Amino acid sequence: MGIRKSNPFIWLLDPLRPTSASASYRFEWSQSAWLLPLAVGIAGLTVSAVGWATDASQFYFSYLVGWAFCLSLALGGLFFVLIQHLTKARWSVVIRRIPETLLWSFPLLAVLGIPVLFGMHDLYHWTHLELFDPASPSYDPVLAGKQGYLNSTFFIARLVFYFVVWTIIAYKLYTESIRQDVEGAADIPARQRFTSAWGLAVTAVTVSFAAFDILMSLDPHWFSTIFGVYFFAGSFMSIMAFTAFIAMILQRKGMLGGVVTTEHYQDLGKFLFGFVVFWAYIAFSQYMLIWYANLPEETLFFRHRLEHGWEYHSAALLIMHFILPFVILIGRWAKRMLPLLAFMSVWMLVMQWFDLHWIAMPVLHEHAQFSLYDLAAWFGLAGVFMAAFMFRLSRHALVPEKDPNLATSIAFTNT
Amino acid sequence: MPVSSADSEKTLASTADYHAEAPLVQGNLSFHDITELVTAHTEKKTPLAWWGAFSLANIGLLLLVGMVAYLFWNGTGVWGLNNPVGWGYAIVNFVFWVGIGHAGTLISAILFLFRQQWRTGINRAAEAMTIFAVMCALVFPTIHVGRVWAIYWTLPIPNQMEMWPQFKSPLLWDVFAVSVYFTVSLVFWYVGLIPDIATMRDRATTKVRRMVTGVLSMGWTGANRHWRNYEKAYLLLAALATPLVLSVHSVVSFDFAVSIVPGWHTTIFPPYFVAGAIFSGFAMVVTLMVIARKVYGIQNIITIEHLEKMNIIILLTGTMVGFAYITEFFIAWYSGVQYEQYAFLNRAFGPYAWAYWTMMTCNLVFPQFFWIKRLRRSVPFMFAISIFVNIGMWFERFVITVTSLHRDYLPSSWDYYTPTFVDVLTFVGTFGLFFTLFLLFLRFIPMVAIAEVKGVMPQADPHFYDHAGDGHDQAHDVSVTTPQDHTQS
Repeated sequence: MGIRKSNPFIWLLDPLRPTSASASYRFEWSQSAWLLPLAVGIAGLTVSAVGWATDASQFYFSYLVGWAFCLSLALGGLFFVLIQHLTKARWSVVIRRIPETLLWSFPLLAVLGIPVLFGMHDLYHWTHLELFDPASPSYDPVLAGKQGYLNSTFFIARLVFYFVVWTIIAYKLYTESIRQDVEGAADIPARQRFTSAWGLAVTAVTVSFAAFDILMSLDPHWFSTIFGVYFFAGSFMSIMAFTAFIAMILQRKGMLGGVVTTEHYQDLGKFLFGFVVFWAYIAFSQYMLIWYANLPEETLFFRHRLEHGWEYHSAALLIMHFILPFVILIGRWAKRMLPLLAFMSVWMLVMQWFDLHWIAMPVLHEHAQFSLYDLAAWFGLAGVFMAAFMFRLSRHALVPEKDPNLATSIAFTNT
Repeated sequence: MPVSSADSEKTLASTADYHAEAPLVQGNLSFHDITELVTAHTEKKTPLAWWGAFSLANIGLLLLVGMVAYLFWNGTGVWGLNNPVGWGYAIVNFVFWVGIGHAGTLISAILFLFRQQWRTGINRAAEAMTIFAVMCALVFPTIHVGRVWAIYWTLPIPNQMEMWPQFKSPLLWDVFAVSVYFTVSLVFWYVGLIPDIATMRDRATTKVRRMVTGVLSMGWTGANRHWRNYEKAYLLLAALATPLVLSVHSVVSFDFAVSIVPGWHTTIFPPYFVAGAIFSGFAMVVTLMVIARKVYGIQNIITIEHLEKMNIIILLTGTMVGFAYITEFFIAWYSGVQYEQYAFLNRAFGPYAWAYWTMMTCNLVFPQFFWIKRLRRSVPFMFAISIFVNIGMWFERFVITVTSLHRDYLPSSWDYYTPTFVDVLTFVGTFGLFFTLFLLFLRFIPMVAIAEVKGVMPQADPHFYDHAGDGHDQAHDVSVTTPQDHTQS
């Protein structure tokens, strides 16, 4: 008895062979439930392939946004699980397996990130070597000063490093949790906590720099020290929405009955609300300080996003990513009214994508626009991502069933 | 059905897993013991040691009054300010004290929302510390304006001259942010005090004491209806105070970050200042609690577990602050803006390098010792670290303020800032003010939230006596029947 490693082909999707679960925590949907998102994913990626053939720049940008969306979910999940272990959180045990299952997305995301590397020339202006050549007419002295950091070799090395680090932390957290299901070893919570302590520090630093690299350097002249925190805020918000939504789907399909209760949804809703506000706080801090100081090298970023139709996107971001969700989610009733919470979860996930689109797309298009390929790449990548998630979810128990705090978590109530 | 001791031991053993925490209150104290332990210090004859400490604090307070009077008589020329460095000790001390004043409301509001029950042992003293620290902070902007008689102009008071403060100035936002924070913290603190003041009233032996506590406890009887309203009010105040914890130091950071001074204008300032404030606030709580719990003999209420948890928060926020330093440095280089690059190189290797590396060592390096469990549970060690952190956080503000200003855009005006004795003694004097207030607090007000601590003890569980005796500190020889037993039988 124990956990066994899966074969190398499956390893990308799930490093462990299926484990048995007790009846209450078993995945009872069709074992091929993951084929549905996979079909959506393949359809989306097929349309994207047409985009690649006809309009490569558009494809790469759309693809980057979709990929960053999936990445932000996985990283949000990583942060969430790390914090739950560190704080020895009890309420969240029943929903922890959902973000935990998301953790093993990093190897797949690394593979799905390969097209981004092929598209670097389209995506990242700083890959154009003539910028660094003083003899060239397009020589850019500012970017030339950044060449030590913004160059393809170092960029790829950094991305590889981030993914290796995230995969190692994810592997430890994920496999230990599954091992606990099977063996129930008493030392696992302490080991998880140990991993989480150094894991949180390493994750915070790598995520911040990944945000600088993947998103901020799209506009290589622009810089903002808070950008990593901004990306973190959106990621953490998304994982709360994602977890609540998936838990509700599973319950609709007859799983986790009496395990995940309105009380847990209320807590997820609190976190969702909290991070809607936190995102707004960070976004405001970034905008206000740049607006107030009015330095051209910084205002450039917002200048692009406040003209030629992008101003409507900016306004929509303010209203739909903050004001409306703030008003809707503030009440206790809203977090306990599950259809509303489900709706708001999907809404906030869409807003997370919209936010990333707002960051990336104005670099490509001077005039605001949505492309069919934006949706195709988003659905394509999210479909594949979700299929892998469902596949993993179906192979193990839906909750960490031998966690010593499971009973406390099930009985949890907001007083 | 009486539960045999073998059964209860079995239950204990099965729950004695990794997640089982040490009890929040140790030493097998009863409710009555808690009341006695805490209120005794407000009722007994004033100890001589208290008078000693109070006299010392009063000397500090007199020093502050003297320095402020000297300043008012002579004007701000007695400070060490010079032409490029127009902001010196006053702003550094203001930010330092406001930062200290962040732990209390974080403990009482945010940790309350996060259901961290250990906060009950320390929240009262931490909130008191918050209020006093904000009072110390408010001294500096007030005396810094030069024409102190016009300080009320910072408030938007309608007047015949139609003179209004500059609403676009972050200094005005400070006035609003800090005064709102002070008011809400004070109300929050007072609301939390009401049940405990009622306890003191019920124990009062003198008429004066009974009258004062009677008025302040607002007719509290501990009725169910009182508790229901009280708990709702507490929750709402916690929800209101939570954004304030973030907003105050964010607004303070705007004082610097909205400008275009290199080293000040960087977007991470708001969250980084908040993390720094919590860091320094918790360090100050550790400094004070390590002493207070020993002197007042309440080690069973403020246990080593409480201190350890605070040290973990110090480690977390210290590392966040350290990471922000590094991010700032990196982005200064990455920005390609030569002024930003120079400002940071000048911080680390310029004339104030000593201050920069003091800050780095105290804030980033020293807290890392708390990774080691033995060290974060060692009282002398944590006391030393908490002092270092406070020194480091003072230097952080000094580094930000002075290193960015002393070499401005015009090299011919560059200068080196040195504080005068007035600067230094005014700062020392605020510690006199702080400890005067804090000692009065320790003397007259229950330093631990008695009612809240009782609420997190096992006895507070309505089912506690189902299996733990009859509520009279007796072994359980009385059988307790629960409704479930009826349905089963």
